[in-house]
Amino acid sequence: MDFANNPSFIRQGPHPAVRLALCVLLSIALLIGDSRYGLMEHVREALSVALYPVQRAVNVPFAGARHVIDFFTAQAELKTENDTLKSQRLQMSAQLARLATVEREYRELRQLNELKSSRAEGGQLAEVLYTGRDPFSYKLIIDKGADAQISPGQPVIDSQGLIGQVTRVQPLTAEVTLIIDKNHMVPVMIERTGARAILYGYGGGVEVRYLPNHADVQEKDLLVTSGIDDLYPAGLPVARIGKIERNTGAAFARLSTSVVGGVQESRFVLVLNPKQHVPAAPPPPPDAAPPRRTE
Amino acid sequence: MPFERPKELLKPVKRRFIFLTFVIAVLVELIPLPAGSTRWLPDLIGLLLLYWVINQPRRVNIGSAFLLGLVADAATAGLFGQHALAYSITSYLALRQQRQLVMFNLGQQALAVLALMLANQTIMVVARMITGAAFVGWSYFLPPLVGALLWPLLTKLLLLPYRQHSV
Repeated sequence: MDFANNPSFIRQGPHPAVRLALCVLLSIALLIGDSRYGLMEHVREALSVALYPVQRAVNVPFAGARHVIDFFTAQAELKTENDTLKSQRLQMSAQLARLATVEREYRELRQLNELKSSRAEGGQLAEVLYTGRDPFSYKLIIDKGADAQISPGQPVIDSQGLIGQVTRVQPLTAEVTLIIDKNHMVPVMIERTGARAILYGYGGGVEVRYLPNHADVQEKDLLVTSGIDDLYPAGLPVARIGKIERNTGAAFARLSTSVVGGVQESRFVLVLNPKQHVPAAPPPPPDAAPPRRTE
Repeated sequence: MPFERPKELLKPVKRRFIFLTFVIAVLVELIPLPAGSTRWLPDLIGLLLLYWVINQPRRVNIGSAFLLGLVADAATAGLFGQHALAYSITSYLALRQQRQLVMFNLGQQALAVLALMLANQTIMVVARMITGAAFVGWSYFLPPLVGALLWPLLTKLLLLPYRQHSV
């Protein structure tokens, strides 16, 4: 056995100084060869290739640890980023919804504005505050009232056509009865022919009653206000004829009609000023009925 | 020999174990460490070489130092022959004083190791400067200090597997 404490005289091999000289010479040769002549490049390359797997093996746990750390930081970062994006998306969609509403309102207002300037009577723009609570009556509450000199009987239109009439005025608000309300009547005429009729609301829709079977009426005829009363100016679109049923057994034709204006949809309405240049009504004959109000 | 007394009775060291420690040292040298830590980390291969030269001069001598220096050169991607030259000379110096060194206690050994490692670094610096590199600064001599401080720990650690617990 070889022991560390063997006496030195048993030692074999060349003297340490000789070994040293040899190694130093070799080292110096290597140093010079490497630094001056680049002789050792190939050896270095070969050695590095040989060391490469070892290097990789040593690197693997460290790279793995770094990878895991990266993974978790990336996870956390992604999570926070995702959260921010989500909240941003919520805000954006809310903004977008508001924008769509605003655009719609803007369009309505523009149309109303055009209508207002095109009509001689002039009118006041009003916003619909809410619809009546009673499901059986079709009413709107608008944000103009006695303070804006609104008076009962004023027609209310939107950008498409007539939608109703002011029926009750409060100091700051006014109640509008829609033309689809039961017992609401509008004197109309068929725009194409000029034939007059009365449009009755029946609670949720309108219909033309008492039109003779032989009346000249076609589908898609437009009904406009005739203006033969002291309320509605002539020529406001009101409804459009849908289907016509002519039943020989009945005295009158059955017409289904649809309202032109956005009765239930408009957010802004125009309250038309009452007719101003109404010729003075002739004094009623003593036996005549009181003047009819279309209410 | 009366003055080559071991402080405790140890099992004979296997050649395989020496080789394994050197492999581990080279592997540690290959570990990717944060930049800047090389400024103060001790040269583990050199320390281990000195340990074996001092404690097992029959097994590890100048030839092994030279070969190990070549491996270290390849591992540290330095100039070829730099470590080989330094290790050869240092181990020769250690070998010359081996019989005294082995008698020293750990503190004295650490001082001697400090001197030897400083010589090691000096040889490398001189070799690099002769081949045309600039002086890297005095912090280059910090690792031997740390190495000398670690010397007792290293000795205890390497003795662990060879303590005889059962007779």
